[in-house]
Amino acid sequence: MPEDRAIETHDLSKKYGDRLAVDRLNLTVASKQVHGFLGPNGAGKSTTIKMMVGLLRPTTGSLSILGRGVSGDNPKVRREIGYMPELPRFPKHLSGEELLDIYGRMYGMSKTERRGRIPELIKMVGLDGRGKDRIGKYSKGMQQRIGIAQALISDPELVILDEPSIGLDPVGMVEVRNMVKDIVKSGTTVFFSSHLLAEVQQVCDHVTVIHLGVMRYSGTLEDISSKVMARRRLVIELEKPVDGVLAALKTMKFATVEANMNTYTLHLNTREDVRAEVSRAVTGAGGVILRMQEEGGGLEDAFLSLVGKEGMA
Amino acid sequence: MPTKKNRAGTLAAFIALLYYEFLWNIRKKKIIAIFIIIFAIATVQLAFTPIADAVANPPQTLQANSTFVFGGIEALTGIFLFLVGVATTMNTVSGEFESGTIVPLLTKPVSKTLVFAAKIVASVITLLAAYSFLVGYITIGGTLIYGPQDNLNLVPLGILGLTIGSMVWASVALTLGTLSKNSVLAALGSFGFYIGLLIGGTLIAAQLGASTVLFYAPGMGATGTTAACAGLERGGGQTFSTGTDGLASMLMRWVLNPGQVLNFCGFQFRASGNPTTTLLASDTFANVAFRDLWVSLVYVAGLLLLSWFAFRRSQIVES
Repeated sequence: MPEDRAIETHDLSKKYGDRLAVDRLNLTVASKQVHGFLGPNGAGKSTTIKMMVGLLRPTTGSLSILGRGVSGDNPKVRREIGYMPELPRFPKHLSGEELLDIYGRMYGMSKTERRGRIPELIKMVGLDGRGKDRIGKYSKGMQQRIGIAQALISDPELVILDEPSIGLDPVGMVEVRNMVKDIVKSGTTVFFSSHLLAEVQQVCDHVTVIHLGVMRYSGTLEDISSKVMARRRLVIELEKPVDGVLAALKTMKFATVEANMNTYTLHLNTREDVRAEVSRAVTGAGGVILRMQEEGGGLEDAFLSLVGKEGMA
Repeated sequence: MPTKKNRAGTLAAFIALLYYEFLWNIRKKKIIAIFIIIFAIATVQLAFTPIADAVANPPQTLQANSTFVFGGIEALTGIFLFLVGVATTMNTVSGEFESGTIVPLLTKPVSKTLVFAAKIVASVITLLAAYSFLVGYITIGGTLIYGPQDNLNLVPLGILGLTIGSMVWASVALTLGTLSKNSVLAALGSFGFYIGLLIGGTLIAAQLGASTVLFYAPGMGATGTTAACAGLERGGGQTFSTGTDGLASMLMRWVLNPGQVLNFCGFQFRASGNPTTTLLASDTFANVAFRDLWVSLVYVAGLLLLSWFAFRRSQIVES
């Protein structure tokens, strides 16, 4: 396996009884990438991640993390991974600092290293002054933060975050997002699962979309819209209906046209910006444009077309 | 910044896991509760005779008793060993699954075998500490109240026997907890197992006497007597439970009287008259204690092996 691949799966499948949770997933995540793993609830994201970190055994297929095959109980692979589970739960009787200290020891960090790293992480995740408090006294948001801190304790090469902002209020979500951006700055590969489009859009440069256990798309965020070509429309509102406008718009090969009173909708099949051309055609036919607006074509539309509307439920 | 390629020694990781386990035990108040119960039982044991003497009419003078400590250790058996053992391990594995803390733990660079080993070692040390505290308290209190004690050199052996005997029940609870991932099921299942053995053992003893089958069952096991079976109904001699619960007593007597013979008697009930008593087996304390020891260790090892296998195979479907 090429060394620049942080994660690679080959026909990875997981069955729970008769239900196929992950179906022949072929995923590649390059090193030093922020890779979003997007899908609606129940898509198979957490199952895939659990196979990556050794909590679940694949039914069939294989996967490699940082060039090492993952099969069975493999602590060597986990040494290079920092993992934050979805809704992480830690022993409530430990303080945040104790938790990080114990986990740091498990990674083989020396006392000096731990003494340096723990306050740094506590500060980074915004738990300054609360590190000595028992986790049982932490709010949900604080538990998410300590979850991120423990994933970073060993300064891992790969960080896997499973729905890191689930259950957080909007402020907490923004803070988590900023933390992820900080992690990325240090050159760490981040694999980030979410069912929230906006979150992935703001944090990741690559995305894999999964639905019902099947991979629907994998590539850059820029490519996803163009490849899917989903629902990009140009809506034009005229002062009043003009007979020649519809005919003029129908001559354009990059769109199909629908007319409704004084509103014309062009369903575009091009990635080019055609507004000037359309504007000239409309005014040339005697129409007066009140409004011209491009709709669709964003990640949400692409996502909808990939997973279907039922996936958004 | 820590170096990325740190290589944790297995020992360092194991010590970290042990520390994790001890904090879990101590802060969860489970062990504190066990110690309080033990303290209360030992206090009752120590204070019962002086109080009874004091309230008797007329009040009695407390007699010196040089075998109080030895007898006190021998009296720690049955349900007591069961409760301490089960309380120690009933949520050692299942509690982690129930609370979800197993997820971050198993994604650290430590093998499941090491995690399991740390849990076992922590449980054994906890039991050892609990029984050392108990026996130490009885020894100091007994010496102060009842005067100088005989055979105090056998006290460590008694503590070892209590720990191993209790570990049999702890292993039952741990195995059920690992298989079910449920602490309540582990505790109730262990209790059911205990009661089942108690009833089964009693029925076997009633039908067959101290059947040799009971030599190999956990719990109270077969009852042996230092008296001859033929004269058993007339009394005399001492009786001993020789099962895993009686390991402490057997180990101490192994050293004290290795050659003394224990008789295991069978009974035949008749429609009229007294049952006839026959000798089923007889053995020295040395042999009985040795058999008792390996039977206990086989149960502990077998159950822990099963539990370890289940733990290694476990997957985290929900988190």
